[in-house]
Amino acid sequence: MLWAYLYFHQITLDTHEKASLSVGNNSRYDTKNEARHKRTGESANGQHQPGKTQTPAVIVYCEKTNHIVQRNNGALQQGIEIGHGLAQAGALCPQVCIIPFSEEDERLTLVQLAHRLYPFVSDIVIDTHNTLAIRLDNLVHYYGGHKELWSTITHELNLSKVSYHFATAWSIEAARILALNGVDNYECDRDNIKHRLSQCSLSLTALDKKTKEALTRVGIRHVHQLLAMPVHELGRRFDNNTISYLTALRGETFPHVTLFRPAEHFEHFTLLPFDVENTQHLTPFMEKLLGYLAHYLRARNLQTSTLCFQIDFREHPSTQLEIKSALPQSTVDSWLSLLTLRIENEVLPEPAVSITLRCDNFETIEGSNGDFFSNRFNEVAQKQLIGRLNAKLGEECTFQPKVSDTHQFETMSNAEISSSISASTFTSDIVPTFLFDTPKPLTQSTKVCFGPVRLHSEWWHETPRKRDYFIAQTLYGVRMLIFKDEDNQWWAQGLFS
Amino acid sequence: MNKSLSMLENHPHIWRAREQSQQEERFSLGFDQLDEALNGGISTSGVIRIRTLTGIGELSLFKHVISKQRTHKMIAFVNPPGDIQAPWLATFGIDVKQVLIVKPSTEKESLWATEQCLKSTACHCVILWSNGVNTKESRRLQVAATHNDALCLLFTRPNRNSMHNSAALQTLPISLDLCLNYRQHALEVSVLKQRHGWPKDSIAIHNDWTPNNRAIKWAVEHNKVKRHVLHSVS
Repeated sequence: MLWAYLYFHQITLDTHEKASLSVGNNSRYDTKNEARHKRTGESANGQHQPGKTQTPAVIVYCEKTNHIVQRNNGALQQGIEIGHGLAQAGALCPQVCIIPFSEEDERLTLVQLAHRLYPFVSDIVIDTHNTLAIRLDNLVHYYGGHKELWSTITHELNLSKVSYHFATAWSIEAARILALNGVDNYECDRDNIKHRLSQCSLSLTALDKKTKEALTRVGIRHVHQLLAMPVHELGRRFDNNTISYLTALRGETFPHVTLFRPAEHFEHFTLLPFDVENTQHLTPFMEKLLGYLAHYLRARNLQTSTLCFQIDFREHPSTQLEIKSALPQSTVDSWLSLLTLRIENEVLPEPAVSITLRCDNFETIEGSNGDFFSNRFNEVAQKQLIGRLNAKLGEECTFQPKVSDTHQFETMSNAEISSSISASTFTSDIVPTFLFDTPKPLTQSTKVCFGPVRLHSEWWHETPRKRDYFIAQTLYGVRMLIFKDEDNQWWAQGLFS
Repeated sequence: MNKSLSMLENHPHIWRAREQSQQEERFSLGFDQLDEALNGGISTSGVIRIRTLTGIGELSLFKHVISKQRTHKMIAFVNPPGDIQAPWLATFGIDVKQVLIVKPSTEKESLWATEQCLKSTACHCVILWSNGVNTKESRRLQVAATHNDALCLLFTRPNRNSMHNSAALQTLPISLDLCLNYRQHALEVSVLKQRHGWPKDSIAIHNDWTPNNRAIKWAVEHNKVKRHVLHSVS
């Protein structure tokens, strides 16, 4: 047997950072973020210094033990270490942002992660609130090798943006010790595992405190000393739990563990990175949850007609928001439009701290609703097409139009990418369909049907231009964009199709 | 003799005018007269050839089809006669992100690109400017378009001054063949050939595809100064 053990040492911190990133690098959120979070220290020292580009310090604080349990790089730079008390952290960095540690929240996040991994690996064991074990030996056959299997798992973990320590060994218990030790190495050779395991300290084992003390007293401090002891010798001095743990550590017994099974309904929980006061700021987080739902439904060929959002507050009882649709739907867009309508009139009784999306009733998409296929939007087909055209015709032959922020006809639509390209396109009815590369002298007789529109180029340009634009029609009905320059010369510049 | 006649009778590719038009879906162009002549609009897939000058509103004629139908797919412009302007696309109702412009260097390459676009299933409408499409090539495009439920608009030069040019005169195995002319302040559409229907000449269409000065003229006419103002000089 081969088990991989994953230890997510800062899962609360990772979820917090992911959630704050998902709403964009939006400054308005940042300011709120700062204002909302509990601050420590005096306000005189706690002034934010502009111009500092450091990452803000974030720590996770466990109230039970009065210890800092997780901290990010920003906090590390300030000198905050794991194990410090809150007062020490506050003294080192007054602007530190504090997230309360909750085992239950970590477990929920871990279950979501297990759901994510389940399509790729079958046997998952949720060990504690921040550790997972995955059985590998029965999967290697399907993936065609250890390397392929492990890269599939790590790719999925990297996508979910969590940091972790991992190790592999013949049993969950052995892998656990190695992972907690921070081995971070994929190893399937028995001897190598044994070698690494024997160097580990006894303090990392799951033996109870009393047993550990008893062993230290007789000079057993490392795992290899423990494993060297004959079992019947130990059996005389220690209880059954210790013995069964040791046999499991050696990989001599078949593990009795509860394997993770995915839930039959959809449930996704998000801890908000800051307290959200109004529903507009809640929408981006809800949209993200809808995205997860759409993914879930799409993978199972399902759709749904009811959703339930649960909004949790610090003190007030949670609010349930049920959204119903007359027609079963599955896409984010269709649900989002209903959600925005539903949420418009809602008033939050107090700032929200977390939201959960739940969905119990599903319907299968039947063949009769054929729009599922006719509206099939195939992004892959698009990319393939562009790739094929580029391959044969050259990169410069195929392009998508880009809009730049100007009303000058010459530079309005360009293929080159510059910083001034705006995200949204503006509409203008005097823009021609086609623009000539360079203006041509107007040689035909034309009749003006629209105009004039005077455009001055910006004063900081080297050759400022002043032109009067008209739309003119020739005898054959061709409508052109023409202009008169400062020397009263007439030019044709574009066509309206 | 009898046998060969019955073979001809039963040939699936021979369409008889007495047969009822099939209940196939059609895209309306938004002009009543023209839609009537085309039995409700253009077919949803296939090649349509339009012989026209550039700049007489030939794209605006197909505005409904290009910008309102099947908007989740892309529109490809192959070998356009100028730089297509993004704000124009936006005004036309097309999402700029859904547009692909291909500028091949030869005629052959543009036909190849068109066929690839049609076959990719990523585009719902491919607009091609080309003057030398022959029977075989148009057949290829027609098959590629109908099999992938896509539309191909083929814009060619009018054959006004090239009666001797056989390539421009020949009929092609395509869904629809149109000719556009501008005459007396209106766009005249002639249906030269259509599948499952009769040709029709000179359908006049009044379509304003550019802004005009009507509002200014109206304002000038209706807001003439009735009496002298105090500081008027004249």
